[in-house]
Amino acid sequence: MCAQKVELVKSIPKEKYNVKIWNGARAIAEAVKVADVDVISAYPIRPYTGIMNSLAQMLANGEFKAEIVIADSEHSQFEIVKHASATGARTFVGSSGVGLLYAFESVTATSLGSVPVVGVIGTRALDDPGNFGMEWTDVLTTRDLGWLISWPRDVQEATDMTLVAYRVAEDHRVLQPHFIAVDGAAITHVSMPVIPPSKEDLSEFLPPYDLPYKVDPEDGPVSKGMHIAPSLIGPEERKVIDVALKRSKEVIKEAWKDFEKYTGRRYSPFIEAKNMDDAEIALVGMGAYMKDIELVADMLRKEGIKIGTVRLRYLRPFPNEELVASLKNVKAAGIMEFDFSFGSPNGTGSLYHEVATSLYDMDNRPKLLDFLFLGGREPTTEHFKKAAEKVHELAKGKAAEKKAYWLTLRGEDI
Amino acid sequence: MSETLLFNNIKKIPPEDYYTAGHRTCAGCGPALAYRLVAKAAGPNTIFIGPTGCMYVANAHQFLTSPYAVPWYHTQLGGGGAAAIGTAAALKALMDKGKRKMEDVNVIVFGGDGAMADIGLSGLSMGLSYNYKRLLYIVYDNESYANTGIQASSTTPWGATTTFTPEGRVNRIGNERLKKNMALIAAAHPGVKYVATATLHPPLDLMNKVVKGLNAGGPSLVHVLLPCPKGWFSEPSDTVQLGKLAVETGMWALWEYSDGNFKLNYKPNPRKHVKEYLKLQGRFSHLDPEDFDKIDKMVEEEWPYWEESNKRGKIVLPYEK
Amino acid sequence: MGIKMKKVPPINERYKEYEKLDWVVSHGVGVDHTADMTTFASVLAQAGYLKDIDSYYYMRYDDSPERNYLPMIFYNVFGNPKIPVLLHEEVEPIGNLFNTIVAFTSSVLIQKTSQRALLFDGAKPDAVLVVNTSLTPDEVLKLVKKYNLSKSWYGKIVTVRTSLIDRSPSFPLLGALAKGWEKIDIGSIYDALDLLGKENKKESVKKGFENATVKDVEVEIQNEKEVDEGIEIPEFNGKSWTPDIYYAYQKAASSAKNYSQRIAAMPRWEVLSSGLIEFGPKPGNKNIGFTTPWKFKRPILNREKCIDCKLCTYYCPNGAIDFTKIDFDYEYCTGCGICEKVCPTKAIELKGEVESVEGLKDEEVPVKRFESREYGF
Repeated sequence: MCAQKVELVKSIPKEKYNVKIWNGARAIAEAVKVADVDVISAYPIRPYTGIMNSLAQMLANGEFKAEIVIADSEHSQFEIVKHASATGARTFVGSSGVGLLYAFESVTATSLGSVPVVGVIGTRALDDPGNFGMEWTDVLTTRDLGWLISWPRDVQEATDMTLVAYRVAEDHRVLQPHFIAVDGAAITHVSMPVIPPSKEDLSEFLPPYDLPYKVDPEDGPVSKGMHIAPSLIGPEERKVIDVALKRSKEVIKEAWKDFEKYTGRRYSPFIEAKNMDDAEIALVGMGAYMKDIELVADMLRKEGIKIGTVRLRYLRPFPNEELVASLKNVKAAGIMEFDFSFGSPNGTGSLYHEVATSLYDMDNRPKLLDFLFLGGREPTTEHFKKAAEKVHELAKGKAAEKKAYWLTLRGEDI
Repeated sequence: MSETLLFNNIKKIPPEDYYTAGHRTCAGCGPALAYRLVAKAAGPNTIFIGPTGCMYVANAHQFLTSPYAVPWYHTQLGGGGAAAIGTAAALKALMDKGKRKMEDVNVIVFGGDGAMADIGLSGLSMGLSYNYKRLLYIVYDNESYANTGIQASSTTPWGATTTFTPEGRVNRIGNERLKKNMALIAAAHPGVKYVATATLHPPLDLMNKVVKGLNAGGPSLVHVLLPCPKGWFSEPSDTVQLGKLAVETGMWALWEYSDGNFKLNYKPNPRKHVKEYLKLQGRFSHLDPEDFDKIDKMVEEEWPYWEESNKRGKIVLPYEK
Repeated sequence: MGIKMKKVPPINERYKEYEKLDWVVSHGVGVDHTADMTTFASVLAQAGYLKDIDSYYYMRYDDSPERNYLPMIFYNVFGNPKIPVLLHEEVEPIGNLFNTIVAFTSSVLIQKTSQRALLFDGAKPDAVLVVNTSLTPDEVLKLVKKYNLSKSWYGKIVTVRTSLIDRSPSFPLLGALAKGWEKIDIGSIYDALDLLGKENKKESVKKGFENATVKDVEVEIQNEKEVDEGIEIPEFNGKSWTPDIYYAYQKAASSAKNYSQRIAAMPRWEVLSSGLIEFGPKPGNKNIGFTTPWKFKRPILNREKCIDCKLCTYYCPNGAIDFTKIDFDYEYCTGCGICEKVCPTKAIELKGEVESVEGLKDEEVPVKRFESREYGF
């Protein structure tokens, strides 16, 4: 039997030419290429490694030029990009899970030294035990240090956030490093339609990297990171970082506005609020699983429940005003999170702490429940529906028996 | 490499200091002296990387007090190797892509024995496997974690007292581990271009080894033994003399390993008994004459290995029969 | 240079509550004196405690690790009934804190301490100065007046030569302290020694008490107002720093007349650039931010014997010897003595600091002893 010749019965529309079906690893690598990164440091750990694999292949094929250094450990990996960036090179780095924690000392020194490195964290459940599933705790441990952290919902946004991260981190009003936290394999290993960024469109969006004082003989005898006596200068050096994070909000707003100009893709900079205008209850979360949560919210709307969703696009700087504004008429909200904070007040996760603090001063703040999806087990629309029901009951006045729920747990949830 | 780059006359060295006067180091600090000489030999087109340690804290620790007349950046205790690679990679990438003018820029890591032989060994090993030019690792070996108050590291010699290995009623000896040789470890890396040991004697030796390392065309390491008057509990004025005695008693062998060829720089003949060197240091004052003899015997047994390596021109592993 | 300067007041009002306590500050030479100063401070604290006075002691942590020949500072603090507050590092020498200043060596009298402070910065107006020296109280007073007083002083000088009494200066100094300071009596020091199992040292304390010479002093400083007027630093112009502004701050802080001025010369956060950036000296210059005005001996060159071999300038760890013409920059010399040892013609000789600068020879010089290997942590 001979092979049948397939005939095109209709021509492919032009918009579909540009779209690739890529996984997050490949798409993020494309953004790094378009940003013309100079130094990349790689170390393998699942699930983020595919980004580095893609970049290595691009470099081997001459698609762009950069030095790629394979480090001996994540600690060295992050040190490499920190120093490369301080010497004037645009850098890219990444890790997952315990790998990120191995680098913790370098990660801290990077933000406390105001070095604008950009890194992608493929969030992963922490050891012990070993677990390739997705949890947020790895990148959440870094939230106090001065890194900006953005949280994409799909491959397209991950790609776009990577580019915007360079623009925001390198702005002279900020000069702080930037993580893009992708929800593990849900982004890195799932191939979705994505319009890759193009260098031609974005050359004006992203100016060349220009550090005020580089560690390079060209810039004179710069001494960076000298040991200090706290009585002389301790709090002052910390304040610089505090102010940088505060100023980053206006830089982020400008960047996304500009991004729309160059690509046509519009994003609300800090939060993505859906159906919140008349919502009485809300589900608040971040990342890839908001897709499913939004689907559940749509289904419940058809049943007459006034439910909306709020997705935080940035964890740092925390979008305080925007979150408070979106929840101002809401009676109860459920925090949907993938991290633990054992022994914390109310036994919730860390996103609950962040949101509760943010809403604390509201006149009629919504009641809050926390839903923890831990151990990397993927929740489905069934779990999200149950969460929405509990929040709905709370809003109707029924007291909740506790604050924190482990809906994917097998066994009694005490 | 052109011989004209080497220094052969102490009166003709460049007078400028790039690690300038004005730091909080001990009186008679061996590492500070070495830093000054290394910076002088490297010249103004240099970037120094400073892992945490005495040569970080003692050169700062206030505010508005930097003694580095060339660019300098701190790195973590275990970050020396990685920091150097990051800096060198950035310079190469920027030059290759036309974002920075092409020129020779030295990248020198000035890391202590604690930093390079212990916590940073992994990073250093990675660094030695990358072929960036003009990249030099200096291990300033004061045989302890000096900045935190003299704790034992893996290059602390047998019999030394430190705050983690003090001699006491039950432990008579103090440190019972044997000294690790970083230069040998570096030489075992394929692709390393230049490895040397050095100390403060003879004059100009350290400076010339720095020049050779920087011009070797690839990863280089110089392991420098540096007396520390505080940690060794010696007279600050004895620092240079101790370097000389270390070499003359054979406790520190001066050699170079360049492009796969081993060369011994100095054979003590006759070799002084180690007690000439040890008796000037309070950290050995709890040992008996028999202990000094034991140390002397360890040195005596080690030397045939250095001589054999010199004869063959290749490194022979220690204590090979 | 185009940088506008502005005067800021000195920092003096930080320790109001702490001034209600009794403070003893000891100055000595690191590392040689670490064991001795620890002994002194611990016995003193014990003595206070036995008199039902709450007692703490500690080495100033911020200067730790103490380094060879760098000044070491210990504090004893006493409170009655109990010490309600705690400072373990930030005891900056400002205000009116110290009741007693104990100098383990006389070179401290003509120098600044490791914090670039004058000896009497932070002293109470009636402070007692105890010095281990062979100089007379009048000579001590002459030195203090010339180098180290910025405020009027109505206190006491106590001198004692400890090396004639004990190898460790701590015990005779305790006796001398008891003689000059009414808050601690010799009986409680004896009790403390008993408690610590050091009864054999009572004799040294007693001799220190007997041999110590006490002199009342009244020194009025005319230009106190001038010193309190503040220090000039770059005026904040809304921009963060450049090397020029950095060097201007550095110059101001280095030329401060006392510690209160120095600490006032530090920049506000708005002036700092992002990224922990400082600037080293331009090549050819020295680091003016850090000089070493605390050596207790200095090298003197006999130019006739010098053959210009350059070994001394080669081997100076501090780069304090000019290369082109052999010249010693005493601002950066630490008195380590390497130059003396490497000189082939013995053209360099180390002399006591007080003797070299003021012509007064002090027989009490710090001694290093192998058996007291106390490093501190």
